[in-house]
Amino acid sequence: MSPVPRDRGVLVGTMGLEDDARVDFSRLRADRRGKVFSGMESHGLDALFLGGVGNVRYVSGARQLGRAGVLPFAPIAVVVQGTGRVHLLSTWDEGVPPEIGYEDLYRMNWNPANLAADLAEIPGVREARRVGTDGLTPRFAGLIGQLVTTAALVDAAPVMTAARRVKSPDEITCLDVASAIAEAALGALEDALAPGITERELLGIYNEKVAGLGAPNPPSESVCFATPSRGPVTFRHLASDRAVAEGDLVVLAPGALYAGYEAGLARTRIAGSSGPAGSAELAARCARGMDALITACRPGNTGADLYRAWENAGNPDPGVLLAHGLGLGAEPPLIGLGRGADAVLEEGMVLSVQSWVTQEGVGGCLERGSVHIQNSGASMLTRYGRP
Amino acid sequence: MRSERFQRLQAQLDAQDVDGLALLGSSAVAYATGAAEPAADGDRAAMFRAVSVVVKGDSAPHLYTPYLDGVPDDLPGDHLHGPLFPDLDDGIEHFAKAVSDQFGSGARIGIDHQTHPVLRALPGVDWVDAADVVSAAKLIKTPDEVACIRNAQLLNELAMVDARRILRPGVRQIDLSAAFLRRVFELGASANSIDPIWQVMAPTRELGPWTLHGDLAYPTVTTDRFLREGDIIWVDAGINWQGYASDYGRTWITGVDPAPNAKQQVQFRRWRSVVDAALDILEPGVSALQLGKAAIEANDGVRPWIDHFYLAHGIGTDSAEMPLIGTDLGEQFDERLVMQPGMVAVFEPVIWEDGASGYRSEDIVAVTDTGWVKLSGSSYEPYGLSA
Repeated sequence: MSPVPRDRGVLVGTMGLEDDARVDFSRLRADRRGKVFSGMESHGLDALFLGGVGNVRYVSGARQLGRAGVLPFAPIAVVVQGTGRVHLLSTWDEGVPPEIGYEDLYRMNWNPANLAADLAEIPGVREARRVGTDGLTPRFAGLIGQLVTTAALVDAAPVMTAARRVKSPDEITCLDVASAIAEAALGALEDALAPGITERELLGIYNEKVAGLGAPNPPSESVCFATPSRGPVTFRHLASDRAVAEGDLVVLAPGALYAGYEAGLARTRIAGSSGPAGSAELAARCARGMDALITACRPGNTGADLYRAWENAGNPDPGVLLAHGLGLGAEPPLIGLGRGADAVLEEGMVLSVQSWVTQEGVGGCLERGSVHIQNSGASMLTRYGRP
Repeated sequence: MRSERFQRLQAQLDAQDVDGLALLGSSAVAYATGAAEPAADGDRAAMFRAVSVVVKGDSAPHLYTPYLDGVPDDLPGDHLHGPLFPDLDDGIEHFAKAVSDQFGSGARIGIDHQTHPVLRALPGVDWVDAADVVSAAKLIKTPDEVACIRNAQLLNELAMVDARRILRPGVRQIDLSAAFLRRVFELGASANSIDPIWQVMAPTRELGPWTLHGDLAYPTVTTDRFLREGDIIWVDAGINWQGYASDYGRTWITGVDPAPNAKQQVQFRRWRSVVDAALDILEPGVSALQLGKAAIEANDGVRPWIDHFYLAHGIGTDSAEMPLIGTDLGEQFDERLVMQPGMVAVFEPVIWEDGASGYRSEDIVAVTDTGWVKLSGSSYEPYGLSA
């Protein structure tokens, strides 16, 4: 066992090092599994059937094919309390961690009845009395009852959400690496930003950068938009063909995934030499809003404290979230859009926090960062200059 | 196109005696509403999902979305609503209201994914599986839908020219992803749907990943693996355009100016003759079983596809949808699955010669009134333009 490096910076890289510095993934997985089994015990769950990408990753640590969008529920991972095993829908062993053996794999099926038959053969499933799931479909609920187990199907969230909420040091390192990849992408976007380039071209440059760094599956393709200096300013998500104009305030908001962990940031930059009159004031207002939100990210505070901090900084409802949880993708809580006032912030949580301000006749300004809530207050995973 | 699709959903609601739909899956919402969402991974896609409620007899779908810039212009204002977050209990009353505003008590509502908050908030609903309605509506494409698939495929193929151009020993899988993704967004892709696959195929099954069925593992996930001289690569990538998927499948050889050897040329010709055997009989009225048998016969009685896959799959707002030809749904299923004008099929047989690896490509065709029309390109470099 190598000593823990005093300079954490050495941990933030994507390659394995000869001295086994950086993330110890087997420790990371064991820690996650431990939290899940302990949660199952305290909630009286005999098994979990999980289909959500983050949940499957959390319990299995498997490297599975990245796909955009969200699919209806299907049980991709099965956790059995009695045997202490994690079972995975994977027809092959590549990408599957060593603690999941060949006998723990079940195969891909197109016929749901065949999948149900495979599930029924997993030791401990048939006799389970309470099974937690992270979703259902009417068809699967029927098949499980007929072919797999007569267990009560209950919500897995009390186990999974609780396990995932507070991050271990290894998870924080993964989030640090994801932050650094996203920052590299921001640098590439800044270099490319000039009047005449299109949002679509910027999106291409973003994808090229994160893929080249080994993170080819982005958390979101909502990564850049130019804001108008005339008329109403709205937050946009889809890259357009329109060329960026001289003086446009352009939002650059790249994210990245490392080992499934998501972090990201946003900065707003002027295309060309100078922005419209009022852009400096808008940027200052955006920064004040961000500072207020970050200051409110303290253990024991609630979502209501973020709402209050935002309003006290003189801002109206931004029409987008103020913050949401980060980990294996986006996580609860959502704070903003009328939600999350009661959400309690805990030490060890990580949030994506954003300040979005607009001024008709100037444009819009977004700042976003990934924040690690620590005992002493907010600690920024994002480290990238503001100007 | 949107209105024709909506009519198909309405016709299926009538035919299947369902009062309406609550759709939570990305591709189903895209089909029902035409709404665009930025591509997002896993739990982010779930947390920020758009939702559609379709009422039998209504003239348009209801859309609940955080992505206002993706709303079709012709969606009536009173059918457009702010986002619901059906994965969270926080605010689930808005989801319950969205459903109960449209349907009386005891209504039969199709749903494609049930979260536990949704199940808790709407205990009185007679939920049925939306897949029956949606899948039946999607099976036959309109001419506009076919045109969208063809355009998505064209963009995919054009970007692949750039990726193949950089292929030589020492290039990593992620470098190919970087080149492909950059170009495909420049060309106009709306979204990338899947982490592009560049799987190196070992010469024998035994030397590839261990599998449950003893057949080939495919597709495995892209990493920073270096590609070496002579590596056989099975490429698979899907981007979408205006909500429609594409599916690029080809076999490449790693080298500065690669040329297939005699065995590889034979494999390619055999692949061509298997696809041609199916296409020779493809017309309305032919069953999936007949197509499968023709392909097997052309491969001297050996099933020319991987055990966990199929001879062909449909494509639309999903990258793989009905018609599925040759799956574990079984021969009776395939016998009842009869080709009709407007079906689209992606033929992807695999020719394998243990010891000399194999060949796999994908040909996309749409069934016409009298036969079929090809939607994918006809170059198979470095194997040639034709067999």
